[in-house]
Amino acid sequence: MTASQGARILVVDDEPQIRKLLKVTLQAHQFEIHECGDGDEAVTQASIVHPDLIILDLGLPGMSGMDVLHRVREWSQVPIIVLTAKEREEDKIAALDGGADDYVTKPFGMGELVARIRVALRHVARTTDEPVLRFGSLTVDLAQRQVELDGLPIKLTPTEYDMLKVLASNAGKIITQRQLLQQVWGGHHHESDSHYLRVYVGHLRKKLKEDPTQPRFIQTEPGIGYRFLLQD
Amino acid sequence: MKSTVPERNAEEKGAPRLYRVPKYVWVTIGITLLTPLLHVIGMSNDLVNVSLIYLFPILVSAVYWGLGPAIYAASLSVIMFDFFFVPPNLSFTVADLRYIFSFVVYLAVAVLTATLSSRLRQQLEMVRQREATTNSLYALSRQMTAVADLDTLLHHIAKQVSHTLGTQAAVYLPDTHGELKVTASADEQGTAVWGGEESEIAIAKWVYRNGETAGKGSSSLRESSGLYVPLRTEDQIHGVLAVRMEASDIQEQREQLQLLEACGGLSASAIARVKLAEEARVAQMTAESERIRTALLDSVSHELRTPLTTIIGSATGLIENDAIFTPEDRKELTGNIRDGAMRMNRLVTNLLGMVKLESGMLQLRRKWCDVGDMISVVLTQVREFSKHRSIRVDLPDQPLFICGDEVLLEQVLINVVSNAIKYSPDYSEIVITFTRDERNAKLNIVVADTGVGIPDADRERIFEKFYRSESSRHITGTGLGLAICKGIVEVHGGTIRAESNPGGGTRMSICLPMEAPEALFPYRGQGEVE
Repeated sequence: MTASQGARILVVDDEPQIRKLLKVTLQAHQFEIHECGDGDEAVTQASIVHPDLIILDLGLPGMSGMDVLHRVREWSQVPIIVLTAKEREEDKIAALDGGADDYVTKPFGMGELVARIRVALRHVARTTDEPVLRFGSLTVDLAQRQVELDGLPIKLTPTEYDMLKVLASNAGKIITQRQLLQQVWGGHHHESDSHYLRVYVGHLRKKLKEDPTQPRFIQTEPGIGYRFLLQD
Repeated sequence: MKSTVPERNAEEKGAPRLYRVPKYVWVTIGITLLTPLLHVIGMSNDLVNVSLIYLFPILVSAVYWGLGPAIYAASLSVIMFDFFFVPPNLSFTVADLRYIFSFVVYLAVAVLTATLSSRLRQQLEMVRQREATTNSLYALSRQMTAVADLDTLLHHIAKQVSHTLGTQAAVYLPDTHGELKVTASADEQGTAVWGGEESEIAIAKWVYRNGETAGKGSSSLRESSGLYVPLRTEDQIHGVLAVRMEASDIQEQREQLQLLEACGGLSASAIARVKLAEEARVAQMTAESERIRTALLDSVSHELRTPLTTIIGSATGLIENDAIFTPEDRKELTGNIRDGAMRMNRLVTNLLGMVKLESGMLQLRRKWCDVGDMISVVLTQVREFSKHRSIRVDLPDQPLFICGDEVLLEQVLINVVSNAIKYSPDYSEIVITFTRDERNAKLNIVVADTGVGIPDADRERIFEKFYRSESSRHITGTGLGLAICKGIVEVHGGTIRAESNPGGGTRMSICLPMEAPEALFPYRGQGEVE
């Protein structure tokens, strides 16, 4: 959690009330907050204040949130969490595939937002790749390509292992179906292949002894993708 | 029967020269062949019988082809008779001058017979035509009563009128700005556009304004190419019906005018009927939306006010009297604020969902969804308010996949499971069962609770918008959740119904097709080594 202490966050939202809410609560969580209300200013501010993270509302008047996202991504890899009031899944997917790191749907709980911020900051801060990832009873040894559950090794097919690797090394972060397909199958996939993904995730969950109704590790984000849960 | 009219019209007007030649050729051939035949069978000396036999082709011509061919046949017969049979043979010279007299009588008989039979033929023709007209008018009226929307109706009218009159037809109706436009047109093949030219529209406008028939064959604007009748019911002119007039004969034009007027009358009443039906539908919809608006207002104002009251009350309390609250009180009040806001959020989500469904904006994004995945999302969502209930999920061992809109189906399950929680007592069990009906490729989902249950009379009505069962008035709700569920399930081609649970309570039973019509599950084996 130390990585996120004092991190500088740029809040971009056209609603003053939401900016105020974010400012007060995030400051209470020891973040340094800069705020702005429209897209053009957001792009300028991003280059001036060099934030560690941007919270970006997709529904901005004038220059849209998506445009801001693309403009900032042209020169910066700063983590961006998009806020979306819309329940349209394709907007979220477009933002995530367009370079956003995560999303939070309005209305959101503060706990959820802060958790997302911490995960995003941590993924940037992690400089050396840990060879062994641990999640409670699950251990993924990236160097040995070995997976252990409750101290017992479990056998995975190469595809299942690759999927678990992608999900686990992005623990806490949303991975869209497309990102997962791309990182596991490379360029040899088709958008319509997402049902294979579901089948493989199903198999993987079974091997991780997941209760399909209450997964401990791989959580489905309906219509968008998967999130590997951080173990408390 | 219908087709006789245009065919005959074409014969009479369309290409007269082409059609008339064969008749005369037939007459010539017939009489020419008859002459050697009479010689061969040795009747050449029996002049009385020969002359009678020569009457035969004349009568045939008169009956089948009318007056012209008959007179032609008579003349040719006289010439043949004179040349080959009347002594001296092979000469036009007549030895006995009495034969001249018989020629005249012969011709007169021929003309008289021909006139009579051709008149008979004409009458027959007229009767046939009337029958055809009656038939097509009948067909027109029958078609018109069957059609409920205006565009289709106008198209039918144009097609039928064009068919009946054997020419191109067009219907003019005023558009939303009151400007007269060609709304439908057809020729005999049911295609083509006639009547779109400026001059034609100008006449149509004149007819529409004055409510009088105009065009070729009527009393005004006779020089135009078409005939235009107003579509008039008692007090109103709805538009103009026009046909391209090809007939040049006055009699024919009059017939066409009569026919067109008959069609016009029928069309006008059909249009009036459709318009009235439309108005009635709009009125009914207005009444219905009025009822819904009242229900919405009642429900929303109550459902919004309650959480708003708690939010405002708690918040103002905290702001104004911060000092007097203990930390526990403060936590309680802020908890109140959160719960109130959550409740409002659910309401807004449902309202938006309803609007989406109703406005047809809802688009299914069908994908293969893992049912286990869906239920885990659902359980996560309902967990916070499912305290003191145990929820049991029965899933088959094999992973279940369904082709549907994941987000919407989850919403259905969330609504149904939330209801089960809401209407059942603490420490009761809710059982969610998924079964696969292999034969019909259906997925059956049953959510059973042991709660208050639903009275038989309300089993259907609970799926109506804003309907809330009397027996559960004390539990808050908008009456939207199940209406949305029903809408979503139905766009997936499934059914949802409420049954009573044998052990008390309610069983919500949802049946969904697992495969979309065009998408069969394409799962192939892994073929990978662990």
